[in-house]
Amino acid sequence: MDNYQASRMREASYGHSLIPPCQVACPLHMEIGEYVDLVAQGKVLEALQVIRDGNPFPSICAYVCTHPCEDACRRSQVDKPIAIRALKRFAVEFGGDRMIQLEAETTQSEKVAVVGSGPAGLACAYYLRKLGYPVTIFEAYSELGGMLRVGIPQYRLPREVVDTEVQRLIHMGVEIKANTRVISLDLLFDIGYKAVFITVGAHQSLRMGIEGEESPGVIDGATFLREVNLGLKPSLGEEVAVVGGGNVAMDAARAAVRLGASKVSILYRRSRAEMPAGPDEIEQALEEGVETMFLMAPTKMKRENGRLGVTCTRMELGEPDAGGRRRPVPIEDSEFNMEFDTLITAIGQAPQISEDFRLRIGKGSTIQVDPVTLTTNRAGVFAGGDAVTGPATVTQALASGRQAAFRIDDYLRHRYPLVDKEAEETLSGELSPETIEMIRKTERLEPPILPPEARAKEFKAVELIYNWEAAVDEARRCLRCGMGAEILFQDKCATCLTCLRVCPYHVPYLDEGGTIQIPADQCQACGICVAECPARAIVLRKPYDRRHIDEELEHALKSAAESKSKPLIIGFCCQYGLFGTGALASLWRGGKAGIWIVPVLCVAKLEGEHILRAFEMGAEGVFIAGCGEQCSRENTAFWVLQRVERIRRALSQIGLEPERLQTFNLRAAEGDTAEALDNFTGQIGRLCLASVIKQEVKS
Amino acid sequence: MIVAEQKPMEEIRRVIAPYERVLLLGCGTCMTVCGAGGEREVSFLNSALRVAQAKSSDGIHNFSEYTVKRQCDFEFLDSLADKVNEVDAILSLGCGIGVQVVAERFPDIPVLPGVNTSFMGMAKEWGVWDERCAACGDCRLAETAGICPITRCTKGILNGPCAGTKNGKCEANKDMDCAWILIYKRLERLQQLDKMRRYYPPRNFRVIPRPRRIVMKADVEPGEDNG
Repeated sequence: MDNYQASRMREASYGHSLIPPCQVACPLHMEIGEYVDLVAQGKVLEALQVIRDGNPFPSICAYVCTHPCEDACRRSQVDKPIAIRALKRFAVEFGGDRMIQLEAETTQSEKVAVVGSGPAGLACAYYLRKLGYPVTIFEAYSELGGMLRVGIPQYRLPREVVDTEVQRLIHMGVEIKANTRVISLDLLFDIGYKAVFITVGAHQSLRMGIEGEESPGVIDGATFLREVNLGLKPSLGEEVAVVGGGNVAMDAARAAVRLGASKVSILYRRSRAEMPAGPDEIEQALEEGVETMFLMAPTKMKRENGRLGVTCTRMELGEPDAGGRRRPVPIEDSEFNMEFDTLITAIGQAPQISEDFRLRIGKGSTIQVDPVTLTTNRAGVFAGGDAVTGPATVTQALASGRQAAFRIDDYLRHRYPLVDKEAEETLSGELSPETIEMIRKTERLEPPILPPEARAKEFKAVELIYNWEAAVDEARRCLRCGMGAEILFQDKCATCLTCLRVCPYHVPYLDEGGTIQIPADQCQACGICVAECPARAIVLRKPYDRRHIDEELEHALKSAAESKSKPLIIGFCCQYGLFGTGALASLWRGGKAGIWIVPVLCVAKLEGEHILRAFEMGAEGVFIAGCGEQCSRENTAFWVLQRVERIRRALSQIGLEPERLQTFNLRAAEGDTAEALDNFTGQIGRLCLASVIKQEVKS
Repeated sequence: MIVAEQKPMEEIRRVIAPYERVLLLGCGTCMTVCGAGGEREVSFLNSALRVAQAKSSDGIHNFSEYTVKRQCDFEFLDSLADKVNEVDAILSLGCGIGVQVVAERFPDIPVLPGVNTSFMGMAKEWGVWDERCAACGDCRLAETAGICPITRCTKGILNGPCAGTKNGKCEANKDMDCAWILIYKRLERLQQLDKMRRYYPPRNFRVIPRPRRIVMKADVEPGEDNG
């Protein structure tokens, strides 16, 4: 009969976390909060596992993702968003993603053809293989990867990364047919394929439609990047102009720098604020010496005396267009001439779909599909990636490929499409000014990058990886949206107002009906109210299989009982301080006879019962170690010391020495923790001996 | 709200000593709010008692815990009916009322108090409770600007302040406000200082018969003729 109330609490506290905004923004809906948190604890392998669960090619995303998650990150309301992509890069590198081998068994008989080997095609093949289908990828070029290979320059995405993923797919049993341009879908069905996924990308550069565009010395961005990326070195001359303001324009300009052009200028018809390229891309291009010329557009080009004469018009910004960007309007009689050796056009790209496919084509030459099922006008033919959306991001392509794989599976199994439902509640809303004020501001740590002078000469990866400390520190900045406290048992709540009084962030409030509310979008998940609630009505929303403190404790006690080493000391240590960069990191890694560590995510979550349980199960001493001055929370030391005093009182009433419970590193600058811990161990040894002697005398 | 504090561990261990199976029974109302006997305290006490047992060789107990919404009404105790058959004693962390109601509801089982019921009061701030009402049965707060001299004056005098007030504090405890100075200041603020100039005759506490009972229901015969 006894602990039915406790077990009711434990069962109910599983799986209540709300989906944070970063995860909502991610096209793949990766569990970002979870892996960032695992990095913060130094659990890199576990972090990589979470990443791999949500992303077929995390290494690729770690380099090139445009991280919409960071745009959605609520930390930006406090200071700057978490560097999520860089943390993913850290996890895949330190977790050894490239070493992971995957196997897949063929359990289905229907063959599926994937036309195009860009990110969408690769992702589709990956998931179809995991579902057990025989898959063949058809690729027109000699190498696989689509835009990953021919569009994105090496300094942003090293070729080895793509090679690794392709090798992994081959190992999984995906059949690869390179140098094979598919000319007829009928043929694919004739030779036995039951479903086809068209993902041919958007490789066709848009034309500017001005006089002289065919002149020698004018090259389109997609072709230029393709040549560069396939190892050719197009000769550009000294002065190069790039027309356009998107990522392709940036890539082309930066590639031109690396090919030795002495002066590279970007011509853009709007101003910098309207440039669609990623801010980092623009910044890095400028650092590498790329010049920008805003509010001008070429109107005429002519090749003369080995140089390219370009006539430009100045522009001004008019009314916003449908997309919200201000429309450039030519200024009359503002024409002027410039000279370059080469001009690269990068004003947009579109798919080029063979008419023989007999697919319905929509706006911008893209394939028309049903947005949910990705089906086209032809039975068994699905389409996705840039060929459907027009130029988009790698992550969007991966998401589209994954979606296609599941919908193809539905089709082949004659199932009504099992469309992803938003079953879980999402978390949204701005942080309130009072909450923001209480959150400690910490600088965003950027990963190191190659200095501009080192990178302008070659195509080596520009961005380097965090070291361990920097990654942990950066990950700890996460506000853990959606994992906050929740009054799970309103029937138990006595409305005692303890939560309202103890919250350092002033989050709980009394509503008009006199009920306590803890708004999920404000809670910072410090756990103080959870440990203080006298009715035990509050729980922390918990992501999937994370272990509770009591489970960790039982685990440690079991291991201790097996080892029979004495005296037994249990240490509750802040996981951040412990696994990360704290003074106790060596203790955890090295181990020490008789000391057993129970990791807790913030010592403020530690309840009195946890500590007493350790004593009950034979601990001679217990210590609590915080993360000291690294602590990013408010008031943790105060609450830990409150509980410690309470337990010391109880211990002395029971006849145990209160010194058996000790705290370390709760506040800043407490001296040498390792030494203090040594003293504590010695003291416990003596107390233990004294109590043995006392027992002997008694008997 | 009724405020109590948990009894010292020695006393609790002494009173439960004769019983092997002990149910620690919390109360989800006042005792939860004042932090003396809610579900958390029950659980803490359970843990502490088990530590005590593990660290000493005397007496083997089998503890169980449960918290009801309110111990001072029989109906809330019904859910315990099965559980009490499996224990030898109940240690109630309810207030004195709770202990007695549990004892009345379960006449065959010893019910022991786990807290000292102290006063009726309020939370001054987190972790601090102050007495506010003595339940004298004859409320005079209208005359004393909403500040009770019976409870808050050390001497409980009705015509204060006495000569022991100094700098607004009480001679019995110089950290404690003099209730009558508080009353004076508040009356002044309310422009009712004339109430200070009146004499209040001493009260006859002997007229309160114990135990008190309040009957709200009217004396109507329960009939069977309601259709």
